[in-house]
Amino acid sequence: MTLSRTFTRLAAGVCCAAAIAFGASTVAMSTGKATLKSAGPLAFGPDGILFVGDSIGAAIVALDVDDHTPRSGGSVEVKGINEKIAAMLGTAADQITIQDVAVNPISKNVYLSVSRGRGPDAVPVILRVDTAGKISEVSLENIRHSSVSLPDPAAIAAGDNPRAQGQRMDVITSVKYVEGKVFVAGLSNEEFSSSLRSIPFPFTEASKAAGIEIWHGSHGRFETNAPVRTFVPYEINHQASILAAYTCTPLVKIPVSELKPGNKVKGTTIAELGAGNRPLDMIVYSKGGKHYILMANSARGVMKLPADNLETYSPITKQTEPAGVPYETIADLKGVQQLDKFDDANALVLMTGNGSMDLRTVPLP
Amino acid sequence: MESGAFRVIGWRAAPPPPNGWSSVFAVYAGEGDVPPLLGAFSVTDGSLVFTPRFPVVPGMHVRAVFQPPGGAPVESAFDVPRQSAPVPSAHVAHVYPSIGILPENQLKFYIYFSAPMQKGEAWQRIHLLGPEDAPVVLPFLELDEELWDRDNTRLTVLFDPGRIKRGLVPLQEDGPAIVAGKHYTLVIDRDWPDGRGAPLVEEYRKEFRVGPADRIPPDPAKWRIAAPRAGTTEALVLDFPKPMDYALLQHMIEVTGAGRIEGSVAVVQDETEWRFTPRQPWKAGDYQLVVQTALEDLAGNHVGRPFDVDTFERVSRTISRETISLPFRIRHQ
Repeated sequence: MTLSRTFTRLAAGVCCAAAIAFGASTVAMSTGKATLKSAGPLAFGPDGILFVGDSIGAAIVALDVDDHTPRSGGSVEVKGINEKIAAMLGTAADQITIQDVAVNPISKNVYLSVSRGRGPDAVPVILRVDTAGKISEVSLENIRHSSVSLPDPAAIAAGDNPRAQGQRMDVITSVKYVEGKVFVAGLSNEEFSSSLRSIPFPFTEASKAAGIEIWHGSHGRFETNAPVRTFVPYEINHQASILAAYTCTPLVKIPVSELKPGNKVKGTTIAELGAGNRPLDMIVYSKGGKHYILMANSARGVMKLPADNLETYSPITKQTEPAGVPYETIADLKGVQQLDKFDDANALVLMTGNGSMDLRTVPLP
Repeated sequence: MESGAFRVIGWRAAPPPPNGWSSVFAVYAGEGDVPPLLGAFSVTDGSLVFTPRFPVVPGMHVRAVFQPPGGAPVESAFDVPRQSAPVPSAHVAHVYPSIGILPENQLKFYIYFSAPMQKGEAWQRIHLLGPEDAPVVLPFLELDEELWDRDNTRLTVLFDPGRIKRGLVPLQEDGPAIVAGKHYTLVIDRDWPDGRGAPLVEEYRKEFRVGPADRIPPDPAKWRIAAPRAGTTEALVLDFPKPMDYALLQHMIEVTGAGRIEGSVAVVQDETEWRFTPRQPWKAGDYQLVVQTALEDLAGNHVGRPFDVDTFERVSRTISRETISLPFRIRHQ
């Protein structure tokens, strides 16, 4: 039985405190049929719990995929994974879309959110790929799960035109679990607004997907309410932060301590990545005692940026200043559509090249 | 194959083999070395039946391979009958903004289709042509998650905010996507498949010219309200000096009297006019038009707040309220 509540949405442009109920009872996950109207961004939480962002259902669903056997080492290589998935789902390869990819940090099995069909009646499917390359379905028929509703813009929109109400939607672009909370970045299909919501997990009866207003300062002068495109948790100077990529190009850092519901938060720009930059996924890793960010970019390939001492890079405040954090482009990694961390030495990528879409592990550069 | 399920005929299906039914019977769709169809096994009237998780789509070639224990494999092939190609019937119903002149910092287009469309095609099928039909490179924010509504009938296309916001590198490097003084054409390809797989009936073109950037927040003091007469169901009319966002106009303005007044909204005159027709005749009295300040103009400026606030200029009249109210009175005439 899924548990869902509707919550008051903080409209963009308003700075007011949202009430969070503390001390509410923790809702145990229950076993039964989990409902997904769509399956988009994925993220792993504690104990192998998989979070799925459902934009059409306006919900975050937590699934216990029952995959707790620790494994280390190993690799993944599945060539033509889109054709294999399509064959399993009884359809053509161009009729499935792999929405996101996430590695279970415990078992190293890879999870995919897939859409079967590209029309309005597309069916969401969650698949698992093990290190032997075997693909199986994560059935939602009888699974331990819980869920929380996101403020549904369609339900909240005032007005008497039911069709107009139904058309407004927040598209979830990224989901991450950080220090006990699930953060959800979304982009409205109507107003140009940012939504970054934080939801405590385990979901409580009073869980509120309360909004944090993200502002982006450009060169210290111009501020907009800016949609976060993708983000990754990272510790800077022993302080938990998130590194976020906006729809309008820059890379910013935001301390997690500022990400309180109701806050108006301004990210500090640490890298100006230039025109045509479309960040898809980011991971943070260490190599040779140093930390790095690896960012997959639909226009620019895969970029590697040094992540140590990010706090020492002066925020970009002058218009004449160069890009901030220097980066290099990884020539070998082309056509990367999805990126996640596999283990300390490897990344997992979904990449298209030579007409084949492959899922594979690659060494971290 | 019967009704989409696959049955092994002439073999008694009991007891289940140690490695499960999938070790003796597998059905494959698609070409090459692919895994078998996802599905479930059952035994009906003593026969082994495999029911695919999803019905195999028309036109696919299916191979069923049965490996009886200790016997030679039996293979059968089936072709799921192809459906005749659907006749094109979908088209672009409207692109907003309707007006033929857009500000240089235009924020978005709404593309309304007459029928549900397929996702994943947008960035190959939408083109912006500049002067002399030269394609504009990357004018739009090409998100993988296309901004559709729930029915796949409306697509929101955002201009790249990096080329609009003042002070950002892309604006400095590449300039704005559309330039004041020039003419452009938005082209939507005919080959965009609809939900049934058919292309559109025809290509769509919207020509427009570009004026200077608009950084002035919509000012309610400049809006005109024409109040209807009491006792009628005439429309309440709100006129704006410049076009506003079509989708947000549908639901960001309410009429309240003693409570919320029920009625229907129409947006006309190139989105410079909002008309509200009540369900019940108006009663004489005092009313409010309650407008959410998140209502945007074409450049994304909110009521009382521009798209990008120049913090050096200290916009002191920033409205931080969520709504503003405009009073009006309805009289008998």
